[in-house]
Amino acid sequence: MTVFSFHINGDRVEVAAPDHWTLLEVLRYRLGLTGTKQGCDKGDCGACTVLVDGRPWLACLTLAKSVEGREITTIEGLMPAHRKSGGAGADPLQDAFDRCGALQCGFCQPGMILSARALLARNPRPTRVEIRHALSGNLCRCTGYTQIFEAVESAVAQACGTTTAARAWEAQRERACEREDTP
Amino acid sequence: MSARDLHGPGAPWGAATPGSKSNTDFKVVGRALRKLDGLSKATGAALYADDLQLPGMLHAKTLRSPHPHARVLRVDASRALALPGVLAVITGASMPIKYGVIPWTPDENALAVDKVRFIGDPVAAVAALDEDTANAALKLIEVEYQVLHAYLDPFEALVRHDPPIHEDRKEGNISKNVRLEFGAVDEALAGADVVVEDDYEFHGTTHAAIEPHCALASCSADGVLTLWSSTQITHYVHRALAKVLELPPHKIRVVQLNLGGAFGGKSDPFSLEFCVAKLALVTGRPVKMLWTREEVFYAHRGRHPMHLHYKSGATRDGKLTGVDAKILIDGGSYSSFGLVTTYYSGQLLTGPYHFPTYRFDSSRVFTNKPPCGPKRGHGSVQPRFAFEVQLDQLAERLALDPIEIRRRNFQGDFTRTVNGQRVTSNGFLQCLDAVERASGWKQRRGKLGRGRGLGVAGSMYISGTNYPVYPNEMPQAGIQLKLDRSGLVTVFTGGNDIGQGSNSMVAYVVAEELGLKLEQIRVVAADTDLCPVDLGAYSSRVTFMVGNAAIDACRKLRAQLVAAVAQKWACDERRVRLIDGLAIDIEDAARSMTSVEVFQLAESKFDTLGATGSYNTPKLGGDYRGGTIGASPAYSFTAHVVECEVDVETGRVSVVRAWIAHDCGRALNPMIVAGQMEGSAYMGLAEALLEHHQLNRFGLHSGPSLLDYRLPTSVDTPELHALIVESIDPEGPYGAKEAGEGPLHPSIPALSNAIHDALGIRLKHLPFTPGKVLAALRQEQALRPARPHAALDEGSR
Amino acid sequence: MLRLPKFELRSPRTLSEAIQLLEEAGPAAMVIAGGTDLVPNMKHELATPELLVSLAHIEELRGVRREPEGALAIGAMTSLAEVAASELVQRFAPALAQACSLVAGPQLRAMGTLGGNVLLDTRCQWFNQSYFWRQALGFCMKKDGSVCHVVQGGKNCVAAASNDTAPALMTLGARLELEGPEGSRTTAIDDFWVADGIVNKKLGASEILTRIVVPPTPRGHRGAYGKLRDRGSIDFPLLGVAVRLDVDETERVAHADVVVTALAAQPKRVAKVGDTLRGQTLGSPEFESAVLAVAELARKQCRPLPNIPGDADYRREMVPVYVKRTLFAAARGDGPVHHV
Repeated sequence: MTVFSFHINGDRVEVAAPDHWTLLEVLRYRLGLTGTKQGCDKGDCGACTVLVDGRPWLACLTLAKSVEGREITTIEGLMPAHRKSGGAGADPLQDAFDRCGALQCGFCQPGMILSARALLARNPRPTRVEIRHALSGNLCRCTGYTQIFEAVESAVAQACGTTTAARAWEAQRERACEREDTP
Repeated sequence: MSARDLHGPGAPWGAATPGSKSNTDFKVVGRALRKLDGLSKATGAALYADDLQLPGMLHAKTLRSPHPHARVLRVDASRALALPGVLAVITGASMPIKYGVIPWTPDENALAVDKVRFIGDPVAAVAALDEDTANAALKLIEVEYQVLHAYLDPFEALVRHDPPIHEDRKEGNISKNVRLEFGAVDEALAGADVVVEDDYEFHGTTHAAIEPHCALASCSADGVLTLWSSTQITHYVHRALAKVLELPPHKIRVVQLNLGGAFGGKSDPFSLEFCVAKLALVTGRPVKMLWTREEVFYAHRGRHPMHLHYKSGATRDGKLTGVDAKILIDGGSYSSFGLVTTYYSGQLLTGPYHFPTYRFDSSRVFTNKPPCGPKRGHGSVQPRFAFEVQLDQLAERLALDPIEIRRRNFQGDFTRTVNGQRVTSNGFLQCLDAVERASGWKQRRGKLGRGRGLGVAGSMYISGTNYPVYPNEMPQAGIQLKLDRSGLVTVFTGGNDIGQGSNSMVAYVVAEELGLKLEQIRVVAADTDLCPVDLGAYSSRVTFMVGNAAIDACRKLRAQLVAAVAQKWACDERRVRLIDGLAIDIEDAARSMTSVEVFQLAESKFDTLGATGSYNTPKLGGDYRGGTIGASPAYSFTAHVVECEVDVETGRVSVVRAWIAHDCGRALNPMIVAGQMEGSAYMGLAEALLEHHQLNRFGLHSGPSLLDYRLPTSVDTPELHALIVESIDPEGPYGAKEAGEGPLHPSIPALSNAIHDALGIRLKHLPFTPGKVLAALRQEQALRPARPHAALDEGSR
Repeated sequence: MLRLPKFELRSPRTLSEAIQLLEEAGPAAMVIAGGTDLVPNMKHELATPELLVSLAHIEELRGVRREPEGALAIGAMTSLAEVAASELVQRFAPALAQACSLVAGPQLRAMGTLGGNVLLDTRCQWFNQSYFWRQALGFCMKKDGSVCHVVQGGKNCVAAASNDTAPALMTLGARLELEGPEGSRTTAIDDFWVADGIVNKKLGASEILTRIVVPPTPRGHRGAYGKLRDRGSIDFPLLGVAVRLDVDETERVAHADVVVTALAAQPKRVAKVGDTLRGQTLGSPEFESAVLAVAELARKQCRPLPNIPGDADYRREMVPVYVKRTLFAAARGDGPVHHV
């Protein structure tokens, strides 16, 4: 059992944990930050993605003690940081995921949102292809990814001051219902 | 009660005419609103089973069989029990009562009694202070096995049953056989102008929800057992626990928290639920078990591998005359839903096309492999694949456009299938139109150049069935409403929200019915102490049944609310409309009241406000044994067009785009419906190209991890276009039908058909690996000079 | 959750401290870099060290530098993402940048290091499994057992070299700098491998890989990497092909090299590539037929085994295809060759 310290969502914490514990276990079972999920045990699914010094990182493969002195951001950190900087509601990316229907079971999304957050930090206006690649280490089993892409694009649009609905739901429905007999 | 009469003149949304496709009369329904739980999930606040920790909680682990088939001669846990930190070890002797989700086939034990039947079958469970100690204890348990012959090949299991996998069964290793014939199939085929006969093969795939199974149990001092579990069937788990633990059901509470995906993979009672409950009873402490990903693969219940033989006949103008199917189903080691699977493999094929005659002969056999069960599109995805490819083969023989042959065989709406199922609304033609138009089918099919192609397929699926898994006359879905003076309505539902958004759906319905703002609704769900029974999230039943139950409850309350307001205003009740958090007088714009005032007025008049509502299907189904299995109050319909690109040098198939048109009756929230459609298509295409639940020659899962079982990533998933079609079902809640499972079906045959359009090869054996594509190309090239394309239909007449 | 076996973790700040820790603990100690290979293997009880020495806090092991004479010196602890994004590497050693860009998925490239990828343990579908899984079939010779399930009755372990960067570094003639109790040494990466899947590299006891040095590449250097895998992300290679084409001012090939990996225990250099391609002008019909001839050489020389998941016959069939495509990509100054 070692005592070590690091920054978690802006707060410095001291943690006592055995050396063989992963960061994921410390976050979930010592610090109660259960927003970081566990899906595959061993680095295959991305559900446990957190940001370590701003980079997307798999907590399930990270030895807890090795983050000594580093800055960790988990999904729980986004909304408080947004509020601290004067914002209202949830972080704009979190809000976009909700607004665009990107959350079905929600289990992969904390990791997905953090991967997207890291992408937008280095590339504020990504193309869909760039979004696809940046999220390619986060498996989602529910959505088929489309509404996730739309959520990231919607957050980008909002940040650029253009508000767009992800899709024109009403128009789409009517189009699909029309019968058209000519090519 | 039946929903049939619910949407008459008393409908709450004003002047809408029945059957109207307009959403303008609704305030809530039909809009792309947020989900109730979206932000809590996006911010990490939502709690899932493994997020709970209780004081003094123990951790449990499972010892599993390393043999595919063996007799358990002795289990000695004394060394494990002696390990400091180990609190209890249980074995099959601790819980000898068998269970099974289908009450006719109880053949599972929480821990092996006498025998193990696949590698990974649970044998013993340990509760310890921490996971490391529990794992160390597992290595100290001694088990003596007598290894038996292992059945890995379903064809062997069909003919050999010494030793049997399950003793005391009359039919050897046959889990279930269903043979049903409707009309004179042989004569119909003999008289057909063209007949295609062929073999198809569907491999095993699994759900792979990202959340692994987890359960936590705690027993109060006065003997009430609470189980928090990642289940999609709280009610059946409740029943099974009572049976196996021999406890009165009222001493058990089962709670489902947020669920990290299920897709049918959490719709059986599972070993871990019984184990943590038993260990909590034994130790008097809370006990949690979280399965590793590997254990989830062993628990499986995934899609059944099937060997399918189809023979279909048609007239010269493309009208089907008869369909004859023979199916061998590899069930794995236990029954699970297998009885239903076997029926579904035949019963659910009889739409959207009219079959004048039909026969199927399906046999499910036991093998010494992880048990198969219901995966999204239970039992019908495999036959649908085979038949929709065969339909394309027929179209090819007749030189018909594949969409045209599907149109010509359309069964129509408000009709009856050859096997006696009642079909109500049916938007299949609109689905075909939508994908035809969106994909540019007429301009593009067959003209995209070698290696690129378009393929189509259709399907239908159930919106629940009238067959509850245990026979009873009680409602299939119940709802309870509580109105509060604050203006809040709390809805209690037994429905399991597994990420599909059923809690939100209930809130939309209640808000619409009672004219409230969405923020005035809270939903309490899937807690057997608090909520009325709902049978669970399976068979695509929740929107249809729970939605109707919610409408039923709301109508009762709305009558009281309106009566109270009308009395106050001294006007006719028909002038009072509840809308958007207000009661308004539709003839006097100046007169209105907030819902808080309405609730308080009604509470003063009628006493504490609440209501219950329920739903049961009308009598449905064919008049023969098994005729109610697959009988649904409403069927959904789907058509896909898939565009693929094949690299002829590497054999790699890439799906470029998929257009998914789905008749969901009415989209209560089009954004959620589209999410179900896209997620379904993604999952189907993944099964076609990447995923394979495969066992090696030892009977061991060849790669039980999310590395080796390849779920598509964001760069492997095509652009998906959801095209919502609304047929407005007369019995669905506001006309709604299912959207969660149907849209998976056509993706796989549509891809096979697209590959044929691209290259002239027919892929009939899943998955479509690059190696198989190259082999088919070589075969096609060898035959090409003699008979282009048609030569590949070896089986055709 | 799948748990790690117990160990002690030390995080020295200097190289000498690290070597000292390793030396004191002997075979019970292992080095951990990014942990993306070792940690899953430890969860599977494939490695159960008592002491882990982390290199994460040794700053001297990080960074990409261009030496005065033009060589690229890459610290072993430089992340794969950083190497992939390095303009120096992209310019002077494109095959390496491409290989790094295709390792696993984004998070693992941020965590994983170039040194760690070079030292990646060999992989096999009968080996990279949990303790329970391996125990169920009596283990295998690479760990805890004596048999081989790939080649039944086989005497040698044929687990596959699966590191994407190794073949790229081989085409670049890279040198590995190692530091151990006896001091430092340099070895050509070509000489680093042995044909044994159990341990396929000549790493001394208590030795640490510190730097990977890519000698100066000529002005006309072209390189590319091709990777076959099922998915467009996350997966290890089912086949990896690194190629090198050095051309003179008239675009005639002066030097060429092809190395293929994920076949067997070590990466394989295709023989007679230089002779076949030398003197051909890029884009000429002769060049194209020489590329096809090299692809055919590769097909004859490379025989993937059913060691890693996937159809071995198909992987073999893809050898010439990927060799050809990767050579053409390099000739165009393009790449990587990857399906997404």
